[in-house]
Amino acid sequence: MSNDQSLLSVRGIQVSFAGVKAADNVTLSIHQGDFTAIIGANGSGKTTFLNICTGYVKPQAGAVYLEGHEITALPPRDIARQGIARSFQIPQLFTDQTVRDNLMLSIAAREGVFQGFTPLDRPEYRAEADELMALVGLEQVAESLTGTLPEGLRKLADVTLALALKPRLLLLDEPTSGVSALERFEIMETLMNALRESKTTALFVEHDMDVVRRYADRVLVWDTGQVIADGLPETVFADERVIKSVLGAM
Amino acid sequence: MLYAIIPLVVDGLANAALIFFVAVGLTLVFSVLRILNVAHGSFYSIGAYVAASMGLWLIGSGLNPWLSFPALLLSAALVAALMGPLIERTLVHWTYGRGEAVQILVTFGLFLILEDLQRIVFGVRSIYADTPMALLGVSEIGGIIYLNYQLLLIGLAVLVLIGLRMFIRHTRYGKLISAVVEDREVSEALGINTRRIFMMAFTLGVFLAALGGALATPTTGVAPGLGAETMVLAFAVAAIAGLGQVEGAAVAAVIVGLARVLAIYYVPALDAVAPYLVMLVVLLIWPFGLFGSTQTRRI
Repeated sequence: MSNDQSLLSVRGIQVSFAGVKAADNVTLSIHQGDFTAIIGANGSGKTTFLNICTGYVKPQAGAVYLEGHEITALPPRDIARQGIARSFQIPQLFTDQTVRDNLMLSIAAREGVFQGFTPLDRPEYRAEADELMALVGLEQVAESLTGTLPEGLRKLADVTLALALKPRLLLLDEPTSGVSALERFEIMETLMNALRESKTTALFVEHDMDVVRRYADRVLVWDTGQVIADGLPETVFADERVIKSVLGAM
Repeated sequence: MLYAIIPLVVDGLANAALIFFVAVGLTLVFSVLRILNVAHGSFYSIGAYVAASMGLWLIGSGLNPWLSFPALLLSAALVAALMGPLIERTLVHWTYGRGEAVQILVTFGLFLILEDLQRIVFGVRSIYADTPMALLGVSEIGGIIYLNYQLLLIGLAVLVLIGLRMFIRHTRYGKLISAVVEDREVSEALGINTRRIFMMAFTLGVFLAALGGALATPTTGVAPGLGAETMVLAFAVAAIAGLGQVEGAAVAAVIVGLARVLAIYYVPALDAVAPYLVMLVVLLIWPFGLFGSTQTRRI
């Protein structure tokens, strides 16, 4: 049990892969309502941090707390049930199923009701899935198989799948990578509206500094497994060390 | 000509039905757990032994012989309920994410243990329990005589195929299984209990194999070695279909079943090798099987 009032906090986490440090004694907190961007060069440990928070990577030292309760040792499924959802760098959807089916599956997983032989397609799940699709503008592709969607819509569907879990904290790994500059802002606008509507705290890894400047209210700068700057976007982007070691390298 | 072909086809389809039960269980377990379970055939033979023993006990106790039919199903359910979760949790569980060599060695070890256990529990003599076949008798359609039990087997295989499709496509369990087959990582991220899904899929696989064995008892004597023989056939069917293919397993089972029967009738010397010759030809032309692809995740 941790005493601080943060939504998520990590204390002294350390992870290294074959001697390369991906998290080097990292301590930080994410507060309710924050919309935090994580930036840093490739291989600096950004995605590893998301993997640690969601249980896919177990730290060699340190601990992760969600609202003061330690979740370090929990498997990903239990962390998801505690309220941390995530999207992946490459959209991970069930490509053989429609967008609506993907969402209903996510809703059913969230409900966790053990009614295995009942149909997944229940009126209340369908209504909730439709509501979510309307929120992010996916209604037109409700019946499309997710494997057939263009990249921008796949990204959006991927994030919506995580939103369907009604998370307290949403972790997004490069939500706008692989899409055009125009689509990038469309996706972010849609996403921001959905997050505000659902009052979801979010943490997103991003390489596009325009996106970070426009949407983040806090920026964490990652460099070789350490957070070298943490603050408002305008402050962080003016930091000499950030300019030299991170922005110059991106 | 027709008089010669139709009984052959019925024979082949009845044979295919039994192989289908085992092969579809094997392919289901492979799809979900990504494990080629070498011990899968043992569940077929254990199902057969339990069904034969139960059938003989029913008759010996003077109970209504028609109870032999529900006893076949009950035997498979018993084997699955007792062995499925236990073996998955205690042994198979440790092979997840490890190399194929470890998985094959562990499941081969399990196969050897189960084969010896069967000898210890059921002995080495063949057991015959053909009451269900005798009860159903024969039918004459268009001057051709059919064993009704064979027709029942074909019907049951079709029902199981349809039932599996319905289960996978329309039930919550089925959707969860499909999700885990497609992407374990995302399934976990959604909070799906993949461990439970693995156990369930393994147990379902055991049930299907045991059901095949139970249903085979009225048609054949149950003897040691039955599991190994069936396992190799099931592998051939799964390979012809492409691992991970439910409908494909049905089609491949029909091909193998017919090939075996045709060999028995026309080239008896090739009886044992006919399924493997078919497999060889199919794999030479389609290396991933008739319905398979490089990604064997679809079920």
